[in-house]
Amino acid sequence: MIVARGLTKTFGPKLAVDDLSFTVEPGRVTGFLGPNGAGKSTTMRMVLGLDRPTAGSVTVNGHSYADSAAPLREVGALLEARALHPGRTARNHLRWLAASNGIPRTRIDEVLDLVGLDAVADQRVGRFSLGMGQRLGIAVALLGEPPVVVLDEPVNGLDPEGIRWVRTLARELAGQGRTVLVSSHLMSEMALTADHLLVVGRGRMLADCSMAEFIADHAASHVRVRSPRTGDVEALLRGRGLEVDRQGAELRVQGLDAAGIGELVGGAGLLLHELTLVQSSLEEAFMTLTADSVEYSTHPAPQEAQATR
Amino acid sequence: MIDTVALNPDRHVPGARRHPRAADTLHAEWLKFWSVRSTGWSTAMLFVLGAGLTTLVCATSAAWLASGEADESPASFITWGLFFAQITALALGTLIVTSEYGTGMIRATLSATPRRGAVLAAKAAVLTGTLLVAGVVTAFAGYLGGNWFLDREGIGIALSDDGVLRSMLGSGLYLAGLGLFAMAIGLLVRHTAAALSIGLALVFVVGNMAFLLPGTWGEWVAKLLPGNAGSGVATPVSFNPELLAPWTGFAVFTAEVAALLLAGWLVFRHRDA
Repeated sequence: MIVARGLTKTFGPKLAVDDLSFTVEPGRVTGFLGPNGAGKSTTMRMVLGLDRPTAGSVTVNGHSYADSAAPLREVGALLEARALHPGRTARNHLRWLAASNGIPRTRIDEVLDLVGLDAVADQRVGRFSLGMGQRLGIAVALLGEPPVVVLDEPVNGLDPEGIRWVRTLARELAGQGRTVLVSSHLMSEMALTADHLLVVGRGRMLADCSMAEFIADHAASHVRVRSPRTGDVEALLRGRGLEVDRQGAELRVQGLDAAGIGELVGGAGLLLHELTLVQSSLEEAFMTLTADSVEYSTHPAPQEAQATR
Repeated sequence: MIDTVALNPDRHVPGARRHPRAADTLHAEWLKFWSVRSTGWSTAMLFVLGAGLTTLVCATSAAWLASGEADESPASFITWGLFFAQITALALGTLIVTSEYGTGMIRATLSATPRRGAVLAAKAAVLTGTLLVAGVVTAFAGYLGGNWFLDREGIGIALSDDGVLRSMLGSGLYLAGLGLFAMAIGLLVRHTAAALSIGLALVFVVGNMAFLLPGTWGEWVAKLLPGNAGSGVATPVSFNPELLAPWTGFAVFTAEVAALLLAGWLVFRHRDA
């Protein structure tokens, strides 16, 4: 279990993490979602005691990370895949880590096998691809069989098979009762992995809820209605207290499902040309939620603007 | 809600010791130090430069030293290669810290061992041990090689001669101190090129230029600079008569290294990794 209370971090004048309070519970995958520069990595570094919070505190299993006698056996973390010396072999990297926490050497072969790097274990990691580096990082995280696993952007650089593997792994770890915190800037990735979501933007918590709640609250849906007699239909639906938004010849109705609207309109003897449930995707919901907090937003290129003239 | 299991870390990795000890941190740093190629190369270079150049200079100077025209003592030449071996000691000391910052490894290190003092102590111990042994072994090899040529000219030096054994041990002590000195600079600046340049400049450039400073104060500044204060202990008879007495100089050097390490530790202790 990870508990953060009022966690704040400033770098000079820049507020990177702004008063975050959250709890990461065991037995489920918690997705830590936000655009680039939202403060996810800084938060994770504070969890591991690498960065000092400017204010607030964070504890892992009830105490601060730095107070753990054998932290690798308590918390496994993939921070940056490239926190490696390029001249050291994968096996030697795991060897010194195992030695530092009193983990037996037999465990090294186990994790190498688990992440599929056993064949290249004695190669220098400087020759590894981004995906192999990620796999080694995950091997490091699992070295001590920790009850808490923290993975920062674990699918970066992985091929589709690797992405699916990480997804399954995260779900398995949570299924075993471990606390799993996975960060990503991709909503589509989280939608398939996470049970619970923490959404941050510009260092602030935008949403802390279950995946189902997030979908219900943010992935807005409406029913699209077209009729040759738009005005009459609009008046009828408004008369029943429904929310109607007229967009040209199309009505967007909220507050009742498609079947209900159909019965209502049919009951009044009006003709319908279209009756469709429209649900915005999670990706759109995430974009809408974080729209104001995107650190590096893009603007249309001037050439494109000219071309459309 | 899924049923949660209270996971006991020890249950899952058979054979894991409950509390890792300082020895485990030391073991980890030792493995880390020796599992990159630069360590092996630097240590080999230390030996080749130290022992090899001492032997070479003795071979080429033996006849001149025996001729009576010489204005230097043969004993000044018996650890001559040490001057160049200093470079590798500085490189090893710098890299033990800066390679971690350069690669981001420092985050792996501190997440494995959050007690930063323990990490620093282990690094210092590994570095000191390696350089002490390498320095003494190199000095003895240089003595054996160089003295073979001096002996042929009848000006051989015995181990029991004044300051000879002290210079053998002193070579190890001085190189270990120099490594710690470079490690402290590495902690303060964190960049390999910058830290190494500062270390080399202080020992080789500033150290020699300082003797050009005028007056008594200039003489003292030169004497007290780390390379000048510390190197006296590593040679039986110094080329430079203005240096402090061997052990006095080494005490000054040790104090300087300790002060710099303290500064490095104070910065390292609170800095974001």
